[in-house]
Amino acid sequence: MGKRIMIVDDSRVVELQMKKMLEGTDYEVVSYCQDGETAIAQYDEVLPDLVTMDIIMPGMDGLETARAILEEHPEAKIVMVSSLAYDDTIDEAKSIGTKTFIYKPFEKEQLLSTLDEMLGGE
Amino acid sequence: MDTVMSEEKLQDVFDQVTREVTEKIAGIRLCEGDAPLEEDSCTVHAAFERGFHSSLALCADTAMFTRLTQSMLQEEEVTEQDVEDFTKEYFNVLCGHIASRLFQVTKVASRFEIPEFYTGRYQPEDQKEQFAICYSSDKNEGARLSHFTSESE
Repeated sequence: MGKRIMIVDDSRVVELQMKKMLEGTDYEVVSYCQDGETAIAQYDEVLPDLVTMDIIMPGMDGLETARAILEEHPEAKIVMVSSLAYDDTIDEAKSIGTKTFIYKPFEKEQLLSTLDEMLGGE
Repeated sequence: MDTVMSEEKLQDVFDQVTREVTEKIAGIRLCEGDAPLEEDSCTVHAAFERGFHSSLALCADTAMFTRLTQSMLQEEEVTEQDVEDFTKEYFNVLCGHIASRLFQVTKVASRFEIPEFYTGRYQPEDQKEQFAICYSSDKNEGARLSHFTSESE
């Protein structure tokens, strides 16, 4: 059974790119949300195996959204995706309980390697 | 922004990151040059906030943004909406890298607003162009990266 991925990013570009990269793999994009509020609501319905979460989004940013999801679902696996590489952002993301960071721009191999690391063996 | 960095150093950072990210994301090589901007051009703009109070804009021939979109989407056929969406995402990534590189030097953490896309040239209100870097692409397309600051500065 394929691993179910939820993408949270205000840019449809990221959804298109990730879907293309994941074609033919064991990973299936089952949900795409463009803002934090929708992601929080969708998470309960979809219960994905992993969430990729952008940081800068209109309304709730990715860190707030991740915090809200993890409060309700501490088992959630969230990978932050961003082009921002600040120590304090990374530290904050870790303290919230997210698993790792993917830096934009990312290649297919990097995305798959991260997903394998997070979900491999399950 | 130049209260914490010299204008020269700032230009170096913008220039280096712009070339690196543009080549990495889209395989488009930029070099400093004066290829004129075509009438058919577009601008993508983002305001920095939380730390710095200025904005960046990249105005380039539409052909360059189209080529960028084709490369990012891995498709030859792209729509005007695709060009807008992909250009905004490209600039989003570029600004993130610039902010990260500036943080390494200044230890000032900044964020930027979601990029906006305009047909033709764009000049933000109440801001003046502090400096600009002009580029020619590997296909001789023109591009201009402008840094704007508040008119009161």
